[in-house]
Amino acid sequence: MAKILLIEDDGETAEEITAELSDRGFEVEWSSNGVDGLDKARSLRPDAMIVDRLLPGMDGLTVIEALRKEQVRTPVLVLSALGAVDDRVRGLRMGGDDYLTKPFAVVELIARIEALLRRPVDNRETTLRVGPVELDLIQRTATRGDRTIDLLPREFRLLEYMMRRSDQLLTRAMLLEEVWNYKFVPATNLVDVHMGRLRHKVDGPGEPAMIHNVRGAGFILRSLS
Amino acid sequence: MLDVQFIRSNTFRWALAVAAVLAALVIGLFGFIYWKIDDYLITRSDRMILVQVDFIALLPPEQRITAVEDHLKEDSRGVQFAGLFDPKGGRLAGNLERVPEQLRIDDPAQSVQAKRIRRDLGDPVIRAIGRHLSNGDTLVVGRNVDETSEISHVVGEALALGLLPAFCLCLIGGAWLSLRGQKRVDEVNQRVQRIIAGNLRERLPHRDVDEPFSRLAVIVNGMLDEMEAMINALSGVGNDIAHDLRTPLTRARLVLERGRTNAGTLEQLQQIADKAIAGIDQALAIITALLRLAEIENSRRSAAFGSVALHEMLREICDVYEPIAEDKQIKLCAQIAEKLEVRGDRDLLFEAIANLVDNAIKFTPAGGNVEIALARSDKETVVRVSDTGPGIGQQETEAVLRRFYRSDKIRNTPGVGLGLNLVSAIVKLHDFRLLIHPGPGGRMEIICPDVRRG
Repeated sequence: MAKILLIEDDGETAEEITAELSDRGFEVEWSSNGVDGLDKARSLRPDAMIVDRLLPGMDGLTVIEALRKEQVRTPVLVLSALGAVDDRVRGLRMGGDDYLTKPFAVVELIARIEALLRRPVDNRETTLRVGPVELDLIQRTATRGDRTIDLLPREFRLLEYMMRRSDQLLTRAMLLEEVWNYKFVPATNLVDVHMGRLRHKVDGPGEPAMIHNVRGAGFILRSLS
Repeated sequence: MLDVQFIRSNTFRWALAVAAVLAALVIGLFGFIYWKIDDYLITRSDRMILVQVDFIALLPPEQRITAVEDHLKEDSRGVQFAGLFDPKGGRLAGNLERVPEQLRIDDPAQSVQAKRIRRDLGDPVIRAIGRHLSNGDTLVVGRNVDETSEISHVVGEALALGLLPAFCLCLIGGAWLSLRGQKRVDEVNQRVQRIIAGNLRERLPHRDVDEPFSRLAVIVNGMLDEMEAMINALSGVGNDIAHDLRTPLTRARLVLERGRTNAGTLEQLQQIADKAIAGIDQALAIITALLRLAEIENSRRSAAFGSVALHEMLREICDVYEPIAEDKQIKLCAQIAEKLEVRGDRDLLFEAIANLVDNAIKFTPAGGNVEIALARSDKETVVRVSDTGPGIGQQETEAVLRRFYRSDKIRNTPGVGLGLNLVSAIVKLHDFRLLIHPGPGGRMEIICPDVRRG
């Protein structure tokens, strides 16, 4: 069972997040300020942390910096107030951490925490395999069983991203950020249209569906095992 | 309190200083005039004495006594002095009792104390010349120069009479200027206080434009006009935000209220919750868009600007939107003539162009075309997004850039109504231009002028 440390000064928000995470089987430890949070991060050794950007006593990013200096590599999800996303916060994604702007949907938070906990292994293999689907990263070809899947470059990238994170909920925002490299939310529902096409190609007629739409949340590539 | 301020006021101090300088100047001037006149008068009388001495000295000795007496007789004012003395110092003629002790004989004119015969007239200081004559006698001729002191007296009086009024005038002028300045400052202060209190229509008073104070007031008024317009625009935006936020929130509230009374099953309740969340998400999307707009509008030309390959970006946008267009049975194509690069923020430019394409696809009916084109014209790179939709009417080309403006024709199409504002803000940040051509047929152009090097 994964242990998560939540550092958030708003009690009500913390309560909701804790309840939601506990429902999904996480063990949650809550701290309401930066100093106490830093102590708990050192002593409890959580598997992941959720840190509010603005905290009384000690700023959320300072807490993370202090931990990193002590070589603590716990993955962190930073919660940032709307409109306060600066370069320091954006830089988190480069370091393997993540951020989420408030207000956020709970599913988004859960999906990102799960993604942080199951960071894809950076394998040097040149082929990815999920169930019957195989992706050759050198030849840029995809097959499902004996059938070749004809993919456009962006569809290939999308499938590759999903295969690296199979059986994991991927939200639209995550896909936009990682696959399309979007720094903004487009007016049209880009992700759904592209995902629809990919699904059409991956799940042929008569084949069991692998790409699933989770209503109001995002998509999952299931390995069928 | 007023008096202290008055004396402390800079204008008054300046007036005081000017008055002092003026007084010093006048005193100096009068002193110089006095000195010059004095000098002149003495020189003149010295010359006259010399002439007389020479005249008498050249006469034969027997005529000298008469000459002296005649000379004195001619003097009605009693300023002339003369004396002829024998070698032993005995008086032969004239009104001097004896040769003055300090007088150096045979020297040029000098000031000495005269000894008169008539003691009752006193012993004035005179200019005098003494001369040894050929027969051993001594001749002394002198002249009273008290006149000069009289003149100095007159000059002093004139000075006092002239200087005092001038000094007073200076003080009064200074006081007047100072009071006037203070009055205007008070006036301005009152108006400013009213502006601070919230009366944004108030302006500073000004008279004729050529006066510095009035010019300043005109400048400040210009600034106030600009600020008033900006604040009005801002409050207009505030109203728009309130209105646009109220719509989805009202919807969410209604749904929740009705659901609370009517929902019988869990499924119905979930449906209601979904609808309510959708309404709240819409409100949040508006806030996010506004904050993003503010972020872009407030950011300066960033140092992160780099070279952006527009041809690649347009292909990418075309790739992203192609399936969306296809779903709507719209043909999306890119006309890219050549590889063109501009300086800018890649992410922001992507956002702007993607927004235009997004709009074009949204407002073009099925079966239509959307075209993205990249072209060069005179020293400019042009990104053009055109479509076969209704386009924007002539009278709407400016209105569409207003926040939350939504044409009546498209009121039912989903969207926040800030897309073009965002595009416009991004374009402005880059010093590019956004051209909106009137319909029918949408045509938007982002004009990127070449950056001059150096």
